[in-house]
Amino acid sequence: MSIRALSPYFFILPAVAIMVAGLVYPVLQAFYLSLYDWKIGTKFEDAPFVGIRHFIRMVSDENVHESVWVTLRFGFWTITIEMFLGVALALLLEKPIRGASLFRTIFILPLMISPVVVGLIWRYLFDARIGWINYYLGKVGIEPQVWLGNADLAFFAIVFTDIWQWTPFIFIIVIAGLQALPSEILEASKIDGANWWQHILFVKLPMIRSILLIALLLRLIDVFRALEVMYILTGGGPGRATELLSLHIYNRAFETQQLGYASAISVLLILIVFALSFGILVAGNPLKEKSDI
Amino acid sequence: MDLFELKTRAAAAIAGTALAFATSAWANPYEKYAGTTVVISWPALAHFNAAEGLLEEFTEETGIEVEVDALQYLRLRDRQLLEMSKEEGDYDIASWVVMWKGEYVSKGLLTPLSQFFTNGSLVDPQFDIDDVADAYLQNGGVVGGKKGYMPGKSGALYGLPFGAETSILAYRKDILEEQGLEVPTTYDELREVMTKLHEAGIPAMTSRGQTGHQVTAGWLLHLAPMGGKIFDDEWNPVINSPEAVKAAEFMRHIVKTGPKGIETFGFGEASAAFLQGDAALYLDTLKIAAMSRNPNLSKVDGKVGFALHPTDVRCGSETGGFAMGIPANSQNKEAAFLLIQYLTSKAGDQRMVELGGDPVRISTLQNNADSFEDYPVVAEQLPCADPDWRPLIPEWNELNIDVLGQALTKVITTDDPIQPIMDEANEKAREIMEREGYYSWAKYRQ
Repeated sequence: MSIRALSPYFFILPAVAIMVAGLVYPVLQAFYLSLYDWKIGTKFEDAPFVGIRHFIRMVSDENVHESVWVTLRFGFWTITIEMFLGVALALLLEKPIRGASLFRTIFILPLMISPVVVGLIWRYLFDARIGWINYYLGKVGIEPQVWLGNADLAFFAIVFTDIWQWTPFIFIIVIAGLQALPSEILEASKIDGANWWQHILFVKLPMIRSILLIALLLRLIDVFRALEVMYILTGGGPGRATELLSLHIYNRAFETQQLGYASAISVLLILIVFALSFGILVAGNPLKEKSDI
Repeated sequence: MDLFELKTRAAAAIAGTALAFATSAWANPYEKYAGTTVVISWPALAHFNAAEGLLEEFTEETGIEVEVDALQYLRLRDRQLLEMSKEEGDYDIASWVVMWKGEYVSKGLLTPLSQFFTNGSLVDPQFDIDDVADAYLQNGGVVGGKKGYMPGKSGALYGLPFGAETSILAYRKDILEEQGLEVPTTYDELREVMTKLHEAGIPAMTSRGQTGHQVTAGWLLHLAPMGGKIFDDEWNPVINSPEAVKAAEFMRHIVKTGPKGIETFGFGEASAAFLQGDAALYLDTLKIAAMSRNPNLSKVDGKVGFALHPTDVRCGSETGGFAMGIPANSQNKEAAFLLIQYLTSKAGDQRMVELGGDPVRISTLQNNADSFEDYPVVAEQLPCADPDWRPLIPEWNELNIDVLGQALTKVITTDDPIQPIMDEANEKAREIMEREGYYSWAKYRQ
């Protein structure tokens, strides 16, 4: 092979090296740990080798099934609503209306707040005893609710909080995409007599399809990584009603000190995220058509 | 001045100098360690915040510097385990929740205190360990006795209690008086008072109720007086016994008659509900008394009365809180011991009371009985503190959080029949004990 043919590989080498050190190594390490029953505070050399016993336990563990199911439900509701709201807001604020930049700034504020702070803010807002939400509901004659202590309400609370925080993310990505659209095509569609709906559904949205897909993919991965907000807001409770898979792993690893088992579940998490990302990329690789933005 | 006088003066001067040397070598046991820094890991709780004042006094008096790493109390364990399992640890003193003592010792992470109590240059002869409340000392500091965590001849001392506790009943004097209710002494009376308060539109009793450790802690408070236990003497779980189900049923009653949101209350929220005036009763740690006197935390100072933990079939209050000891990998063990001794000495205990903390010595409780209404109650309660209130075995954390913490959440957030929930939990507990080899002796004998 000529030097010319090899040179691209040479240039991507640093990136690959960093990936291997920062990603592949920890994943392999997690897999290795999942084969042992190690407890913090003891020597790793003394940890008994258990083979794939943790994986066998995981497959039949109702708690793992439940938290995968909670995560999928959480992902479905949050991503659907966030995509819808984010796109709608972007379409509304795309036009140069008075004060648009002010609104845009306000809308992306939640995104700038640290997840731990988001968790704390909403924990106090949802608090049954001193929370503002119950206070104002009381003003209009609605009984106070134990938002974070009832399985359904707590699930609603984490979905709501996530939507509040992450809709702006979709919003800024979409608005950036919309503003980069070539004006000729938009004008042409108007001249051809497309009404407002047709203009959006058949011209604008298809043109930002790849951007929407990337936004969807990023959010999907985020859903499986989400931890901090739920950790602060509910800790996974009541019961396991809001215990997303990542929080489940955290609780197994650090609350009940089953590090090997938690590692096995995190291997499952990696596989799920990999499968989902792969699926989406196969379904519509945004990098395939370079003309598309 | 004649020669004799001169001689006498000279002799006196020499003797004086010698005495001065002698005293400087022997009178200050701290001097050798002046300038070293002792690092403490302890919880960010009111008692320990108050103790920071005493640490400053210690440094001023002894020249030993102290650094504090304060964390939310349930987060201590991870950090301490990691720190104590290193070759050389950063912590010289670790303050643990009593339920972790078995795990720490079984992993070989603590130094037996006998190493220091045998050293005459370290131990203050006036320390008087017998004056430390026995229930606290046994529960927080002694490991390896009966069943591994209770008092017994095979036990050894690994820590001294500091911020240790038992449970008492705190009540709003004004509310009970207004409603014409007597202070309950039994669980039947307590249940009735709660119902009546609820009917009068007053949130009755606050409790911890958050999924996991907190809801289990709430339930355990009632299990002991109702005659229940977690295990029988052969390590068979009995959390589906009639007593355990009754205690769970009582938890449900608390949630139904208490302030809104008990299902989400941790220790902080449960206490805040009482301290902010949103609950008439508080049945949990005695720490509530000092907290109710702290104007930064409490709106109810002066309105709170204290009584014994109500009894059902027996008297049994909690044994919990903290003890502190010295990690096996500490680099400043002797200085650490001096600090622990200082904090838990008679003078230190008295200073803790003055700073707004809780005492661990019987003499301190007695000497201050006139100043604080709760002290005589605590002194009377202590003999009832149950050392088998919860099993302080290494597996407790998993049982506590994953098994009971889940089952009891189901009890208080649904109206499902309680017996099947507790039966299921009992089975899960048995599986864990089986996995950890607790039944191997029974099988071997068969």
